[in-house]
Order: sequence, then structure tokens, then C-alpha cells
Amino acid sequence: MTASTLASPGDTAAGPPESRRQRRKRERLQEQAAAIPVHLYGLRRGTVTLITVACVLFAIFTLVPVAWIIINSTKSQTGIFSSFAFWFSRPFDFFHNFALLFQNVDGNGTYFQWFGNTVLYAALGGGGATALAGFAGYGFARFRFRGSKAYFYVIVGALLVPVAAITLPLYLVYAKAHLINSIWGMILPSLVSPVGVYLMRTYVDLSVPRELIDAARIDGAGEARIFFRVALPLMVPGLMTVLLLSVVAVWNNYFLPLIIFTKNSLYPLTVGIGVWSQVAERSGGNSDLYPLVVMGGLVTIVPMIALFLVLQRYWRGGMLLGSIAN
Amino acid sequence: MSAVSMEALTKVYATGAKALDALDLQVAHGEFAVLVGPSGCGKTTALRMVAGLEDITSGVLRLEDRVVNGVSPRQRDVAMIFQNYALYPHLTVARNIGFSLENKKIPRAERDERVRAAASVLGLADLLGRKPGQLSGGQRQRVAMGRAIVREPAVFLMDEPLSNLDAKLRVQMRGEILRVHRRVGATTLYVTHDQTEAMTMGDRVAVLRSGRLEQYGTPRELYDRPASLFVASFIGSPAMNLYEAALEAAADQCVVVLGSQRLTLAPAGAERGGLGAYRGRKVIVGIRPEHLAAPGIEGAKPGIEGAAPGIEAAAGASLTVDVRLVEPLGSAQLVHFTIDAPEVREDPAEDTEQLAEGEIMDTPVANGIAVTGPRTPARAGSRITFGVDPGQLHFFDPDTREAIDTGR
Ligand SMILES: Nc1ncnc2c1ncn2[C@@H]1O[C@H](COP(=O)(O)OP(=O)(O)O)[C@@H](O)[C@H]1O
Ligand SMILES: [Mg+2]
Repeated sequence: MTASTLASPGDTAAGPPESRRQRRKRERLQEQAAAIPVHLYGLRRGTVTLITVACVLFAIFTLVPVAWIIINSTKSQTGIFSSFAFWFSRPFDFFHNFALLFQNVDGNGTYFQWFGNTVLYAALGGGGATALAGFAGYGFARFRFRGSKAYFYVIVGALLVPVAAITLPLYLVYAKAHLINSIWGMILPSLVSPVGVYLMRTYVDLSVPRELIDAARIDGAGEARIFFRVALPLMVPGLMTVLLLSVVAVWNNYFLPLIIFTKNSLYPLTVGIGVWSQVAERSGGNSDLYPLVVMGGLVTIVPMIALFLVLQRYWRGGMLLGSIAN
Repeated sequence: MSAVSMEALTKVYATGAKALDALDLQVAHGEFAVLVGPSGCGKTTALRMVAGLEDITSGVLRLEDRVVNGVSPRQRDVAMIFQNYALYPHLTVARNIGFSLENKKIPRAERDERVRAAASVLGLADLLGRKPGQLSGGQRQRVAMGRAIVREPAVFLMDEPLSNLDAKLRVQMRGEILRVHRRVGATTLYVTHDQTEAMTMGDRVAVLRSGRLEQYGTPRELYDRPASLFVASFIGSPAMNLYEAALEAAADQCVVVLGSQRLTLAPAGAERGGLGAYRGRKVIVGIRPEHLAAPGIEGAKPGIEGAAPGIEAAAGASLTVDVRLVEPLGSAQLVHFTIDAPEVREDPAEDTEQLAEGEIMDTPVANGIAVTGPRTPARAGSRITFGVDPGQLHFFDPDTREAIDTGR
């Protein structure tokens, strides 16, 4: 008997390649089929209704600020103050506000500059934090070295320290290290992500089987090659989670840039809009800056939503499919 | 010079668990050696130590003549097939098989050539572009083998490579692994918990128990001359029937007292080997199910269709038992019976039939199995007499549990 005749029984042939649409649809249906229908939960009808109402109320509560910022981004300065806060009013100034946002309205560096700064800090800080978390998480999950447990507990401990608590000491160190008004002052602390390391360690433990690493060792791969060629592709969904979390953290960071930057041209969006907002308040409610503060806030959150949507496709199951039997 | 040589190889894990206790094992060039034993006996540990994936606590490991205790896996020239295949899920079959060649920086053209050659040996030629997720269990198994043979290593290590396949495929792959082995001719160390696999595949088989080597020999040797009670009960299917018995001292003959029955050994056999020293003492006697032969049915009427003519077993060499259950297998029949002798169990995992609750063991009753021809008219509830060839009996010391040499 030849091997090819042996190959047939029980072997499943993969059909014609599916299109992206077909695959999405199949995955959605599979997900639906995997979930237990609500009427089988063993809950009483009244309980289900109650939980649903509670969820809806919570969703409304969470979405109110988003609704407010969208509605008010369409208003003129007087509209913001004189009309009902949760409905539209004339004139419809959305595009006017949007265009104005990217012009030099205050004469000293502008929204556009801050936007660029934020993108730079988030890309370097968030990207770097993700890379470091990937290395460290893999190391903690798959190597035993002297003090590895102790180091890991230190990192878990760091999870419990609020960032605000270390900002002042950080400032004092920075003053000595000439990191005030330096972009490195913003980026270096952003590279350290205890949550990221913790998440990646857990993720590697669950998704990179030891046997796979052993197999690669037997196959003669060096440790670096094992990491990049074998482990890293399996770590992608976890890394994307860490990337999203750390980019959002840098994007939204307000306190750190507030104390280390004194130059307008170095501000990220958070601090810049804060400055506009203060200026507007000092003018006692008739500043032209109000619509820009609102529109600036709206434009600030859009890239994060986009990032989430882009990264979403990495959070699909089945990465290990076919690697390890049962 | 052996291809693989383990000398007093010992492994104590960080937890304090002694997984391997002074294992001595030599595998000759081109030999297919099987490491067999129940789950948890240290087989995987031994294999991983040879591969270099596990530290050696003490002892010496040699590949060829070179001591490799501290040598990294990639400098040992061994290939390993893992129990769960451990394929790279994001790489195609071709890249999976060729990964080791990539690591050795072998030029692309040669790599492709060798991958294709290995794939065609295994019938994978049409699947080179697929990912492991698109393969069946048997195909994945073959990819794992391809990954090993493409390297042309000095030693193949296989850790229960067939345990994740269904029974039919397992038998097929058994043949296929042997076919590849003969073709490649490389030294192989194969681990399994399945004694059938060990017996059918191994040139030599090492039986391991709790990290210790019980016996190392050809399948024939293990079957004919098990060195210990453990090997006797582990090798062979169905397992050997084992009973406590007494060896009665008589003037010119030796009698095995088994419960209420007496088996007379031929006078010549009375002094066989070391057995003479056990006269007047307790021994454990073993009878393989396939050696309980051609029964005469008590009260069976001659002439019933298919009934074997009641062969009168030679006086003193027959065993009468009560049939409890008959399992027809088509080509043969398994006759489960009870006998009034104290039973000996070696493998606690085999403890399938316990006494029913409240049943009192005033008279010892032991279970047993016989393999008979398909038409032997044994019925549950009947009494049956088997002929026993005294030369086929195995004897063990009840204290040391080691075999008593009968000069065979
Ligand atoms: N990494 C480990 N740490 C501690 N104990 C282990 C480890 N691996 C195996 N063991 C123990 O060593 C013994 C032998 O295990 P193993 O070699 O896997 O047995 P087998 O492959 O024969 O089933 C078992 O008792 C097991 O619990
Ligand atoms: Mg094992």
C-alpha cells in the first residue's frame, strides 16, 4: 500500500477558497451557533427584562457625553450657550468649525501641531510599550532565570501604583536629567506598561505551546529566531490588545505632558485643548474658542475609534488551529 | 559502539519527583527501539533528555561516542516527533517541513528539492501549500514525520506519535512508520504506552516502570521469558493470568497446587532451573490466555455441531474453571472465567472487576481469560477444562516479584 492511498480515509479536503465576505459571514454564524440562546439560560422572563433595562440605562449613561460632543460640534459659539444642550440649533457650523480647527486661530502653534505631537508620542510610546511587553511577556512565560519570579511580582506590584502618584517624583528626576521640554520625557515613561507585560505573559502562556518552542529548538532554530518566527505570529492578537491599550493611554495622557512641557509647540492634544478651554473660560463665555474646544475634542477621539476598528480583525480565534492535536 | 547510550541516566524534577532512576539503555545503529510503560513511568522524560530539552540530573548520555549531557538540542543531530505533533500553525506544510533546513541556511533550491522528496515519501506532495489547520489528523502526523526525515538526522525520537489517531489509522500509520524507518534506516527511539505497538514495531523493547528499567529485549524474549511479574502482566494481550500457588514437594515430581487443583509438572521439569529451590514454598504462577488450549466441556455431549472432541488433558496438566462470559471476536473467542485460587494483580490500573459490595471472600476466587477457537462451545455458567502445557507456565517469586528461572 502506498502512502497516497493511505492519505485518503478520513482526510478532509479544503473546498474552494472562500471570499472575505463569505468568511465573515461564516464566522458570524459560527459565533451565533456557539452561543446559548437566551431562553435556555434558565432565567425567568422578568429577570431577563430587568437585566436588559439596566444594560440600556447604563449604555445611555455612557454615551451621553459622546452625544453631547457630537451635537455641540455643529453649533456656533452662541448656539452652544443659548440652545438646548442635547439638540441641534441653527446655524449648522460643523464644517465651519472643522475647517477653523486646522487654521492658526490662536496665533501660536495650533491644533494641527498638537495633533502631530500626539500621534508621534502615541506611536513611539504605544508601539514601544507593545514591543517591550511582547519581549518581557514571552521571557517571563517561557524562561526561568535567576529572580524571574521576583521581577514578575515587582511588575504586578507596579500595576497597583497609580500613575499620578509617581508623576511628581518623575518631574524632579526629569529636572535633573534635562528631560523637561524633551519629547523623550513623554516617551520614555510611556514605554513601561506593567499591564502590557502582565497581559502578554498570560497570553503567551495560553497561546504559545511549549512543545512548539521545543520543536523549533530541535529543528535547530536559535532563540531569537524562535521568538520572531514561531512565537511572534501566535502572539499577534495579544500584542494588538496591548497596542490598543497603550496607544490609548498615551493618547489620553494629560497630567504627564502638562508638567513636563512648557512650550506650546510640544503640547499633545489633551494639554492643548485644555489651554484653549482655559483661555475661553477666562474670556467669560464669549470666546470664539468654545466651538473649537468642542470640535477639537471630537476630532481627538475619532482616531482611537478608527484604531479599534482596524485592530478588531486580529481578535479572531483559531490562531493555533492544527498545531497541537486535541 | 551504540548510536544512543544511556548510562545510569537519572532525572529528578524541581518538584522533587524522580521521573527516571538510573536508566541503562543502549540503542544500536539503525535499530528501532521502543520504550514502553504505563503513563507516568518516565518515557517522555527519557526522550526529552536524549533530545536535549531536559537537564540530566545524573548519569551519562552518549550519542555515538560523544558525551552530550550539556550539548544543546541543535548540536545533537536528533529529530523528534511530538505526541501532539507541534506543527507551526502559521506556516504551510512545505515551510513546516523545511524549517530545519532554513535554520541550517541550506540554499533555497536544495531545500525545496529535499522538502519535495520527503513529502513524496509520505504522500504529502499535494498538500505542500496547506496550513496545518486544513489537514486531517493522519496528515498532520505525516507532516510531523516529514519534518523529522527531511533533516536526515542520526537519531529519530518519537513520543507516542500515534496516540491521537483513531484505531484504524493507528494500525495503518504503524506500518507506515516502519516502512519509512526501513527506507531511511536511521536509529529510532520510539515511546508508547501501548504494548501492542511496542511488540509489533520494536526490534528491541524496553519496559519501563516508575522510572526504572524492568527488561530490555526483543519482543520474543519479553513474551517468552518475562523477567518480572510486571513485564509478564504488561506484555501480551489479553494479559497473562497470574495466581498464587504452592509448589508441593514430592519424591519424584513437582506439583503446582492452584486452589483446589493440582498441576503436575513432568518429572524432568521438576528440577528445571531454579524452580527446584521453591519446593514447599509459595510461588506465583502465570498462564497466558492463549496457552489454555482445546478444552473438554464437562458434560458436553459429543456430536454437537462445532463441538471440539473433548480432549482429555494429560493427567495433572489440566485446569477446570467456571465460565462467566464469552466474547466472540470472530476469529477467536475470549472466555472469561473464575477459578478458586488467590489472584495476583500487578497493574492497579487494570483493576476493572472488583468484588461486588458485600461479597465475602472466604474462598479465594480469581478471574482469568482464555483465548479459544471461534467454535469452542463454551457458555456462560458452564464448567470447562483446559489443557495446560507445563512447559508454558511462568513462575515468579512472590516476594521479589522476579521471574524464577525455569531453564527455558
Ligand atoms: N516538568 C515536570 N515537572 C515535574 N514533574 C514532572 C515534569 N514532567 C514530568 N513529571 C513527572 O515525571 C514523571 C514521568 O513523567 P513522563 O516522563 O511525562 O511520563 P510518561 O511520558 O511515561 O507518561 C511523572 O510522574 C510526572 O508527573
Ligand atoms: Mg508521555
